[in-house]
Amino acid sequence: MQILKKIAFWRMIIVLLTGSASLSAQTPVAVEYQLKAAFLFNFTKFVEWPADVYSSDQDPFVIGILGGNPFGSFLEDVAAGEKVNGHPLVISYFKNTNEIKRCQILFINKTGQYNVSDILSDLKGKSVLTVGDTPDFLKLGGMVRFFINASNKVQLQLNPDIAKTVRLQISSKLLRLTEIYTQK
Amino acid sequence: MPYFVIKVTMGNPKPLKYIANPLRKGLAFYFIACMAVCVLTFLSSSYAGAQNADTLLSSSKLKKMSLEDLMNIEVTSVSMRAEKLTEVASAIQVITGNDIEHSAATRLPEALRLAPNLQIAQAGSHDWSVTARGFSGLPSSGGYLANKLLVMIDGRSVYSPLFGGVFWDVQNVMLEDVDKIEVVSGPGGTLWGANAVNGVINIVSKSSRETQGLYFSGATGSALYDYAAVRIGARSKADTNLYYRIYAQHFDQNSTLLQNGTTAKDAWDMVQGGFRMDYYPSKANTFTLQGDFYGGDENKDSLNTHQITNGQNVLGRFTHVFSETSELKIQAYYDRTWRNEPTTAAPFSYSLTTYDVTVQHRFALGRRNSLLYGVGFRSERDQASRSFNPLGIYMPVYSAFIQDEITISPQLLKLTIGSKFENNVFTGNELQPCARMAWTPSGMSTVWTSVSMAVRTPSRFDADFAPSSTPFQSEKLMAYELGYHLTPGQRLSFSFATYFNHYNDLRSLDQFGANTPLIIANDQRAESWGFEFNANYKLADWCHLKGGYTYFNRNIWAVNPAVLSASVAFESVDPHSTIALQAMTDITKHISFDLVGRYVDPLLATPVTTAVPAYSTCDARLAWHNKLFEVSLAGQNLLQAQHIEVGTIEISRTFYAKIVCRF
Repeated sequence: MQILKKIAFWRMIIVLLTGSASLSAQTPVAVEYQLKAAFLFNFTKFVEWPADVYSSDQDPFVIGILGGNPFGSFLEDVAAGEKVNGHPLVISYFKNTNEIKRCQILFINKTGQYNVSDILSDLKGKSVLTVGDTPDFLKLGGMVRFFINASNKVQLQLNPDIAKTVRLQISSKLLRLTEIYTQK
Repeated sequence: MPYFVIKVTMGNPKPLKYIANPLRKGLAFYFIACMAVCVLTFLSSSYAGAQNADTLLSSSKLKKMSLEDLMNIEVTSVSMRAEKLTEVASAIQVITGNDIEHSAATRLPEALRLAPNLQIAQAGSHDWSVTARGFSGLPSSGGYLANKLLVMIDGRSVYSPLFGGVFWDVQNVMLEDVDKIEVVSGPGGTLWGANAVNGVINIVSKSSRETQGLYFSGATGSALYDYAAVRIGARSKADTNLYYRIYAQHFDQNSTLLQNGTTAKDAWDMVQGGFRMDYYPSKANTFTLQGDFYGGDENKDSLNTHQITNGQNVLGRFTHVFSETSELKIQAYYDRTWRNEPTTAAPFSYSLTTYDVTVQHRFALGRRNSLLYGVGFRSERDQASRSFNPLGIYMPVYSAFIQDEITISPQLLKLTIGSKFENNVFTGNELQPCARMAWTPSGMSTVWTSVSMAVRTPSRFDADFAPSSTPFQSEKLMAYELGYHLTPGQRLSFSFATYFNHYNDLRSLDQFGANTPLIIANDQRAESWGFEFNANYKLADWCHLKGGYTYFNRNIWAVNPAVLSASVAFESVDPHSTIALQAMTDITKHISFDLVGRYVDPLLATPVTTAVPAYSTCDARLAWHNKLFEVSLAGQNLLQAQHIEVGTIEISRTFYAKIVCRF
């Protein structure tokens, strides 16, 4: 295995020197959204959902994306072959609010013709981790918000109290690394 | 006091020959080389530009990263990077924390070797010479040093007013906690103030929010005899917006060798500790409080003496963001350093206490002007035990600066003009203006040019060491720069910078007749020219290549017949060409292999130094790691058993083994 990698490395060096490289031609996804995709995936490990969100063992774990898709195929690449507590991980895209179906994580994209507070109140009582990146997302009742800090790094802000009301257990490790939002 | 033993003993003054035309055949070679690099840059860009911009990170790699790692990745989307690195109208290189981790560097000067636009030479176990654009000279018998480079650690200047350089032995940071090192070659006087003549090194450490958890590392090897570091990062339970860390480290470094193979007796050890607190009470406000203390004991060369060092510093910083275009920063620090050679026949001690306060404000004026201005006050008070007259003085520095970034044509043309105004005790008022223009014809390339003036204000050594007929003046630089940044894709970037520097009132050693005392004067002039070429290529997710080539040439001539010929070597013993290359590879999920290679041109013999042959050498590091542990083996200076970088001390091939735990 290592030998193969090494050969691959030297082949790359030769390719570089001879200038005949053909680098893969993916559609570029902004690094910001690559990171957000990785965070969404990480939430499946650091948040615990109650067992009754699944009706059977074959039921998938769904990450829903509402609005436009800023992730390209990146989030699907991340989710490929992954399982959450034995449930296959799938990504669903919802163009608008009436398409929203069963999901465990809902990412509400900032580009979309909808009222975030309406969506959040529709989801009230359901064990769905709501994630967004608008500045007032937590104020409107969301649970997790992405923001970019002064040193251009993607950071998290969390409202654990709201998550608790719908029986979502957020691990202390995740809490330790995030900014805690408290309703004033 | 080996730092200031002038090793110039000449019966008769040897006046330096006047040079009528300082620009001789060196310049022709320089222009040919410049053209060649330009052609290469354009050829490679046309090739690379044909490629599709690729994603920076792979899904498989991101998935494996911890939450902490994810939170530490800077969002350098094409547009952000364009603003940050490709549109910057100066020659800047950034060493990231990741680059340092993927190198065999154990101390700060070794990590600086990763910036191809610096010229670095190790002069002994604890002595280093670090400069940009040349002018690393020989004002002492023990260490070689450069006096035209400003170095800041988290906004705290570590440039010493004693001799106008940096005591690299006591500049230790925990490399694990370094976020990035920005290396600007070329003058930065307008923003940074006096002494940012040839370049600025800005070491930025991670905030304590980014260094949560327990970190421990231990190493042992042939040069790095032992090393241990521990850091604990946590978050306040009472207020969850308060983060802090404490750290401590200790190392023992073995002696280097003399040319006859015997020990140079310069082994040393250092213990250092410190803390940092970051408080984010609201989105707009950030408070930082940090401090360090250290103590070291160094054997000093063959004189069989030793030197004790210690220091303490505390820095506080408050940042308030009014809006995206307006920000206020207030910073204050206290710094005390002390060094003492108690056991020499003539003991020497030196202490320096610094208080510094700066206020900076940035705001937008209309849609086209972004103004940055600030005021500062620095109080420095020092005390030497002998050799300086007076032994101790008070050196207040008052400063103010203003800079306006004018968008002449949005996304296309930007002009930045500004100046620093400074008042110091030696020369009074100093003015350091600068104008920079950046033209960005496309999102991927920027052409920039600048004209700036910078000064090196007198150090205590210049002003108060030797008797002088006239007071020492500031050394003045007039610099002209032209550069080009190119980012053909997210994986690939190039930069090229060329310069022509004219120095006036450069330091000289004068002697007006046999057996009269040496005088430190301003009777030299110099011209220097050169270029820096850098490339950065993320070949694949598991392979990253960086490197660069730097060329430097200069002419120094005397404007007074009393100038000793040794004066030239006193200011500049520099190589013409230097190359630095780094390859970072993740061979498997758990194994990485990294190589750092470098080449340095020969140093020619001068009246006071012997020639040093050219050398190439490399460092290698093989590491196995999982989420919690990392075990690595590293070798430094591998290509030969020993080599000389500057002076006469042999730097040996060395190895060390290191273990790291992160919880």
